Amino acid sequence: MEIKGKVALVTGGGNGIGEAVVKFLVNKGAKVAVVDMSQKNIDRVVADVKAMGGEAIGVLGNVTSEADTAKFIKATVEAFGQLNIVVASAGIIKDQTMLTLDKETGKVSRKMGLDKWQPVLDVNLTGTFLTIRDSSEAMVNGGWEGILVLISSINKVGQVGQMNYSSTKVADALLPKIVVGEFQMRGIKNIRCVCIAPGYTATPILAGMNQEALKAICADIHLGRLVQPEEIASGIAHCIENDAINATTLEITGGLCYKGGIAK
Amino acid sequence: MKTFTYNDMDFTVEKVGKGWEIRKGSTVVASGLYAGLADAEAEAKSIALAKTIYPVGIRIIGPDVTHPVTVGDIKYYGPDVTHPNFIYWNKDSASQPKQL
Ligand SMILES: NC(=O)c1ccc[n+]([C@@H]2O[C@H](COP(=O)([O-])OP(=O)(O)OC[C@H]3O[C@@H](n4cnc5c(N)ncnc54)[C@H](O)[C@@H]3O)[C@@H](O)[C@H]2O)c1
Repeated sequence: MEIKGKVALVTGGGNGIGEAVVKFLVNKGAKVAVVDMSQKNIDRVVADVKAMGGEAIGVLGNVTSEADTAKFIKATVEAFGQLNIVVASAGIIKDQTMLTLDKETGKVSRKMGLDKWQPVLDVNLTGTFLTIRDSSEAMVNGGWEGILVLISSINKVGQVGQMNYSSTKVADALLPKIVVGEFQMRGIKNIRCVCIAPGYTATPILAGMNQEALKAICADIHLGRLVQPEEIASGIAHCIENDAINATTLEITGGLCYKGGIAK
Repeated sequence: MKTFTYNDMDFTVEKVGKGWEIRKGSTVVASGLYAGLADAEAEAKSIALAKTIYPVGIRIIGPDVTHPVTVGDIKYYGPDVTHPNFIYWNKDSASQPKQL
């Protein structure tokens, strides 16, 4: 699918990977709806797009809310007349091990609470579900050519300390198979679905991680550095443009390896 | 250029270059819209879009991070379901139930 002239909606478009995707797609001639929970970030990104001479709307919304999801999709179609590209980049982390042991007694001193578990499932999984469900509805009813792009993570393989996050990301990575299977079964031929699994990418979300652990991880990246958000955006643009990429998850990690050199 | 107040917020819609711009206060909400449409139609569509983006029931006041019903920068007010522009959705959502 050619990007020029198409309409994109990017959740989490106010920061990090989402922001990079917004700007990459605007540079390629797309019109973009920037959806985020942070009004300040939306305003900044929309102002940047305006300065680039691009077309954008900013819509404040929480992807975990059905009402907000209905609103931001309606606003996008109202602004630009159609919807073709959806990138569900809104995501959060709340890292903690399931159990924390007291160093002296060896007994459990703390457990991961639902306050850390549930919001991550709500945003990363339920939010993604609502976004792709309602976007598909709009695309099917509108008859527009479309692609749904989900964001998983290399940590879908299971990262200690990210029981909540990894659980959502393995599910996100599976969704394109189920969604495209359903489209095939229902005769819906105008929408593709892919997922991107970024490796450690230089965005503000990493500030929430254990910085020592992050430093150690960087040493295991074949590329020798963090992936840049623009590199993820360019991978997403490639998926949009290449119609044969469908029902799959593409890892963009810079070559993340286990200790000893086996690529993850 | 047209200025109007909706849902207690001040908006301006204006043709800037080829497209139309929506501003809330001085903040750009949308840019480059409806290029090629007749001015009157583009203005009407821009006004309608501003109302869609900021539906009645949600007002941006934040961030008031200490408020109990604030989610990110969104503060939820009990929606005024009698307002003619109130947007109904098919189902309740957990984070914004329809009942007051
Ligand atoms: N940065 C990385 O290393 C990395 C690696 C793998 C996967 N990812 C995934 O990429 C995606 C983007 O991550 P990022 O690094 O750009 O993060 P980020 O924190 O920089 O940006 C995420 C954006 O999502 C928004 N957001 C969060 N919850 C939301 C909600 N409920 N509704 C609407 N918007 C919401 C935030 O306000 C923020 O602007 C996430 O799904 C993340 O899990 C990131």
